[in-house]
Amino acid sequence: MFFELARRNLARTKVRSTLAVIGIVIGVMAISSIGIFGESLKAVVMENFKNLANELIIVPSYTHGYTSIDEKTISKLKKIPYAESIIPVKSKSALVSFKNKKTYATIYGMDEAEELFEIEKGTFKGCVVGSKIAEFFDLRVGSKIRIDDKEMRVSGILKSEGARFDISPDYAIILPIKEFDKVFDEEYSMVIVRVKDLNQIEPFKKSVERMINYREEKVSIFEMKMIIERIEEMFGQMTMFLMAIAGVSLLVAGVSILNIMLMSTIERTREIGIMRAIGAYRETILKIFLMEALILGIIGSVLGGALSLVGGYAIDMMILNTAEYVFTPSSALYVFLGISFGIVTALVSALYPAWKASRLEPIEALRYE
Amino acid sequence: MIELIDVRKVYKAGRFEVVALDGVNLKVEEGEFIAIMGPSGSGKSTMLNLIGCLDKPTSGKVIINGVDTSKLSDKELTDLRRDTIGFIFQHYYLIPTLTALENVELPMVFKGIPKSEREKRAKELLSLVGLAKEMDRKPKELSGGQQQRVAIARALANNPSILLCDEPTGNLDTKNGKIIMDIIKNLNKKKNVTVVLVTHDPATAEYADKIIQMRDGRILDVL
Repeated sequence: MFFELARRNLARTKVRSTLAVIGIVIGVMAISSIGIFGESLKAVVMENFKNLANELIIVPSYTHGYTSIDEKTISKLKKIPYAESIIPVKSKSALVSFKNKKTYATIYGMDEAEELFEIEKGTFKGCVVGSKIAEFFDLRVGSKIRIDDKEMRVSGILKSEGARFDISPDYAIILPIKEFDKVFDEEYSMVIVRVKDLNQIEPFKKSVERMINYREEKVSIFEMKMIIERIEEMFGQMTMFLMAIAGVSLLVAGVSILNIMLMSTIERTREIGIMRAIGAYRETILKIFLMEALILGIIGSVLGGALSLVGGYAIDMMILNTAEYVFTPSSALYVFLGISFGIVTALVSALYPAWKASRLEPIEALRYE
Repeated sequence: MIELIDVRKVYKAGRFEVVALDGVNLKVEEGEFIAIMGPSGSGKSTMLNLIGCLDKPTSGKVIINGVDTSKLSDKELTDLRRDTIGFIFQHYYLIPTLTALENVELPMVFKGIPKSEREKRAKELLSLVGLAKEMDRKPKELSGGQQQRVAIARALANNPSILLCDEPTGNLDTKNGKIIMDIIKNLNKKKNVTVVLVTHDPATAEYADKIIQMRDGRILDVL
């Protein structure tokens, strides 16, 4: 009966109730669609990094005067059990030329490059060039390029990959260590380590500290996981910030509910008096008013939540040119979040008017003209 | 049984104090039917509101069925109104969004009576006041006399022992006024409901066993 009473009261002032619902719809839609967009943006960026979480990069400890990693350290690293693969890397910037074009590129010397990169054409056996380099020189498998006056035959071209933290493969040329040593005389500049699962990062780090850095810090370790987590955190904060801005619209909706409920309290003062006279407790009056707000909140929020998928789709298509990340579990979370905020806003906004209505003295309320 | 002991009620109107009741003593026995008469501002409605626990006296005691109402909490007063007292107002005071049946059910809803039981009782009460056919109408679809009859049915919902009527016929024509008064008199006679009725109209007051005349917040005369 209370629900029925609340529903009919809302139906009594249809325009007003509809406007209040629209307010909530807009608020929830703004919050949820921006949440969905933020999550999609993060997903698009993180897509590039998704395979890097189990990677560690070991570099010489520059602060302790080390500029390279020696063979002894490498062989110690290879004895640590937690790593799945340990790829020592040498690198050197050098002038590369093909036909009459020249450019500087970073030449990496490493074996097992196939563990880190994907190849577009050819094989990893020999000189592998990054996609941008290949594009720049218009290279194909079999092309002969010159690196520091030494001629090399291109054996493979890497898939375009975008930015990474360790190596930017698109602009790189990768040689097996044996080939690299024929051209340059360099020590190892870093070691890329992959662990089987993320739980082994800590024991691996401890082993490095014990076996290599025991006397002084020879090498520093960077965890890709940490960097990725920082980036994720940053995107999360940005999404929260955007949602907070969108939240202002929900706040406005809340104020409008507060307003209409206060009006409703005044208009229905006599009715409140009647109900108190015939046996309604203060809590009962409170309940009826909160029920009205709850109905407005639920209708507005659910509608807004549904529409936010449309909104999220529109923003994603406009800014990211893909709707791939709209219908994901995390979007559902943001829709849920928006709906919850909408309902809570409606309830909180109605708290004061409902309380005020419930505090009316029966006789004053009955006498109200 | 209703007892008023040296009841005073003073309203503050800005800087002035208005004495609505000035030391009233009154005793209404169970099953009695009394009418309170007097000019506007004589304090008769104030007295009815105090008996109905809608208002509290400035001093003095209002005792309903042996209970001193000044000692009751808001919740207990609400329970008393709901279970012991039935109100009938001049302007009917039905809830406009509810049908006649639902209006009669409402006090039973507040009491927590299950739906089937309260629906059955509400239908019986509406038949009693001759509105069996109009139960699904909203108040604005009913005439004044019909609305007042719904109000009577509502007042009887929780089987009260006291019926308080504030100008119940004030908005009705003579014919409808008579129908209403006959119902009230009948309840008093057959169900032994105590009735306290406030009215301007001597013809309405005639239904009572006792007529109390008031002026300036005091009881002048008991007939």
